[in-house]
Amino acid sequence: MGDKRESSRVKEVNQQRVLDKAARKRRQRKALDALEQDNFHDDPHANLVMHKKAPKFEETLESKKRNRRLKSEPFKQRFRKNFTVLLEEEQLNSSDPPNYLSACVPPSKFPEHHFCSVCGFPSNYTCIPCGARYCCVKCLGTHRDTRCLKWTA
Amino acid sequence: MALDVKTFVLDNGAYTEKCGYSTQAEPRIIPNCITKAKSERRRPFIGDQIDDCKDISGLFYILPFQKGYLVNWEVEKQVWDYTFGQDVFNIDFGETCLIVTEPYFNFTSIQENMTEILFEEYQFHSLLRINAGTLSAHRYHKENPNELCCLVVESGYSFTHIVPYIKGKKLKNAIRRINVGGKALTNHLKDIISYRQLHVMDETYVMNQVKEDVCYVSTQFDHDMSVARKKGKDNTIIRDYVLPDYTVIKRGYVRPLEETTGKPKDNEQIIRMNNERFMVPELLFHPSDIGVQEMGIPEAIVHSIQATPEEVQPHLYKNILLTGGNACFPFFKTRVYSDVRAFAPELYDVSVTLPENPVTFAWHGGSLLSENEEAPKMIVSKKMYEENGMNLCLEKFDV
Repeated sequence: MGDKRESSRVKEVNQQRVLDKAARKRRQRKALDALEQDNFHDDPHANLVMHKKAPKFEETLESKKRNRRLKSEPFKQRFRKNFTVLLEEEQLNSSDPPNYLSACVPPSKFPEHHFCSVCGFPSNYTCIPCGARYCCVKCLGTHRDTRCLKWTA
Repeated sequence: MALDVKTFVLDNGAYTEKCGYSTQAEPRIIPNCITKAKSERRRPFIGDQIDDCKDISGLFYILPFQKGYLVNWEVEKQVWDYTFGQDVFNIDFGETCLIVTEPYFNFTSIQENMTEILFEEYQFHSLLRINAGTLSAHRYHKENPNELCCLVVESGYSFTHIVPYIKGKKLKNAIRRINVGGKALTNHLKDIISYRQLHVMDETYVMNQVKEDVCYVSTQFDHDMSVARKKGKDNTIIRDYVLPDYTVIKRGYVRPLEETTGKPKDNEQIIRMNNERFMVPELLFHPSDIGVQEMGIPEAIVHSIQATPEEVQPHLYKNILLTGGNACFPFFKTRVYSDVRAFAPELYDVSVTLPENPVTFAWHGGSLLSENEEAPKMIVSKKMYEENGMNLCLEKFDV
């Protein structure tokens, strides 16, 4: 009987999953990477279907394509490397500072400001499971319903 | 003696290229990207061709730059083909010297690719690869001949650089980079508006306009915060922004404070900009607000100056120059000044200069440089390139 009388609030807290440091970092990194993205939607021209009745000149089109691809192949290989690959190459070739990595500013000496992840105003509280900031019960509710522990990496 | 051929200056930014002959009064600004619109399915738009497009909702961007460095040459080449070609400038490559800008510490492989493409694909007569900040510093010294030092703060699309120049030479070990630029600000604004009000993740173009139209740098952060909390008439910060629908409203606009009600009229779609107005540019001053563990601009300025020899420090504090698109935010200069003033030793004078147009300032520096008597010594001609190869270019252009 005794354990049945325990309050439901305590129970709920015990069931809550708390993200560990590594997971929080991973989420943060993901959010930062999103700030670097060019687009959040798919190429609107990716799946273009021409009109059904439009004549298909497949043979000619294909041979044209093949030609072009052959021509541009070496160009592509040489000139299409992404940023990470280029940075690695650069570090291998010449590693003494000053260089790209050494130029980055260190962390600030000043303490971080904390803002509510929901409304953007200064916040005093931290969400226990995920570590996001919130400022009032209302915002905590919104946060729990929408972002907290959802889409966890 | 100036250069004996025409000079074309190309400030090749990650977001826009500022380009034109050195004799022009103003450069032409062309988006450095290829865009695809939902409404126009027949063709992608190269550079400013997008101006022909009537409905630019859900614009899809293909950018040649990644984190501020040129990586996608296929895209860049199409934009350059358009810019140099008959649609825009119709350049006679054999008779033209090109001054082109590059980011600081540009990777060797990118420098090689660029040199090769410009000399071998386009066959320019001669070439000068240079940092945009060096051009800005050049112009600053031309306009202020008594000053020997200058600290260029270049806050662009991908990042912000802080670079001390002494007699026009950059001090490499004191260059500082903050990985926050206009792109991060726009994406952050999109993110918070999409979460709080209306899904706008696909509307980079529109949200960039929103950012440019209503965001400002707060000079009294806590005060602005408390005003933004107020309801009704007491809140003088909140604004309604009317989004374009591309049928009646061709471009979004801010409603003046008196008409701000928070309710859309007729068939409009609005977003309410409250603390977002100053919280977004605030990231430049406190990158830690979004979890980027880096210094803000004023702190980084002090950090950079402290890495320079002591005898030039007072001169650098006195000659802070703000360039790049983010310098267009209202009150940017005031805020940089007051923060640097607070951090700097009190015996040094602090003075901050904001040019009339911080976006094109470097381009004008380039056009001035082409008239300089030093210019012929700085460039590499195609002939020299053919005789001495790539190494000459890598040695001569110190970027």
